[in-house]
Amino acid sequence: MALASSLGSSSVAADDNARGEQLYELCVQCHGENGEGDSMALAPAISGFGQWYIATQLRKFRDGGRGRHFDDIAGMRMRPMALSLRSEEDVDAVSAYAASLPDVLPEPTLEGGDPAKGQAGYAACSGCHGADGYGNEMVGAPSLHTSDWYFVKQMHNYKAGVRGTNPKDAVGAVMVGMATIVPNDQALMDLLAYLRTQQK
Amino acid sequence: MIIQDWLAQVSTYAGSIDDLFALIGVLVGFWFIVSEGVFFWLLYRFRAKDGVKAEYITGEEKHQKRWVSWPHYLVLICDIFIIYGAVTVWYDIKQDLPSPDATIRVIGQQWAWSFVQPGADGELGTADDIATVDELYVESGKLYHYQLEARDVMHDFSVPVFRLKQDAIPGRVITGWFEPTTPGSYDIQCAEICGIGHGVMAGTVIVQTPEEHKAWMMANTPQVRDSISIAANTAR
Repeated sequence: MALASSLGSSSVAADDNARGEQLYELCVQCHGENGEGDSMALAPAISGFGQWYIATQLRKFRDGGRGRHFDDIAGMRMRPMALSLRSEEDVDAVSAYAASLPDVLPEPTLEGGDPAKGQAGYAACSGCHGADGYGNEMVGAPSLHTSDWYFVKQMHNYKAGVRGTNPKDAVGAVMVGMATIVPNDQALMDLLAYLRTQQK
Repeated sequence: MIIQDWLAQVSTYAGSIDDLFALIGVLVGFWFIVSEGVFFWLLYRFRAKDGVKAEYITGEEKHQKRWVSWPHYLVLICDIFIIYGAVTVWYDIKQDLPSPDATIRVIGQQWAWSFVQPGADGELGTADDIATVDELYVESGKLYHYQLEARDVMHDFSVPVFRLKQDAIPGRVITGWFEPTTPGSYDIQCAEICGIGHGVMAGTVIVQTPEEHKAWMMANTPQVRDSISIAANTAR
């Protein structure tokens, strides 16, 4: 009972989040013990996303807002994992635990961007994702400081309509339009190069 | 038969498979009961008795060997019926592909099933193909060929009510068939261990009446669906 009541809130304290730690055992297989991600498993770094964003995405996967597009290979791997969470309390607990992990960014895997050009291009993003790219919960914009390959993949997904076109993903629909502003892969590399200069 | 009381038969060949299971079950079950009966009768008949010493039997005497050889011959006769039934069912379901009314793609990946079926033109690989994830919509009374693929590791496309179970192997396209008979929603599962999400790699096959399926096709043909989506977004 004490455990159940302690997990009742969306702001679960990391110190006594035994349930979250227990549930995270499943996530470890792909996202790693410290949430650092694994490109081979198509799993991004998640510890820096923040509890609110992880919980939101888990609910989208669970409810069919993500992971149900024919070309979303990684999303289809994630959806059954979210479906295995049996209650709202479990979603809150595991997302709180994941967010409590050390925010260690994975090593860059993509090179060749120009930070100056990226800064100019990032002006359109900063309104929601913040000047430093660490996101803004109020507008549902996550931190962009995650695995670089994941950032690029999601931008491709938005452009191709693989993500953000599901009626249950209203926030994602905003990104579909924004992604069209980025003209090509070089512009994505430039954005990444700029974001790296903003890492804390 | 008893099997369909537990699990509905929703394909034209489900009955054949159940009949084969029943044949095997009855023959094997009969011999199991007989052999266990003889076994326990012998245990009782030759139980330990005061003053009677246990006898070592080599089993070489003719009247001793017949306890093994006669049942053996009778079981072999039963095997002929089982082999005949199994080969007939195997040929009908796995080797003799009837002409299809439609061909669909079934794709397994960690950890979801996705499907592609032809649009109004009836051809796969064209712009009006309809792709779905987790849900397969088919029409009752229509014979389907499926082309089964695996995107990553081995999976197994299993639809229990169809009595359909077929491995999906990376790099291969395996063709099979089914003809659904009864409208309703039924389970699809993966029957080959395929990773940590194997246990939740589920889907649903929705067998529709011809009218329902026609309406579904109309609503989900990409061009029509996109125009509906655009209209909905405009109305927001």
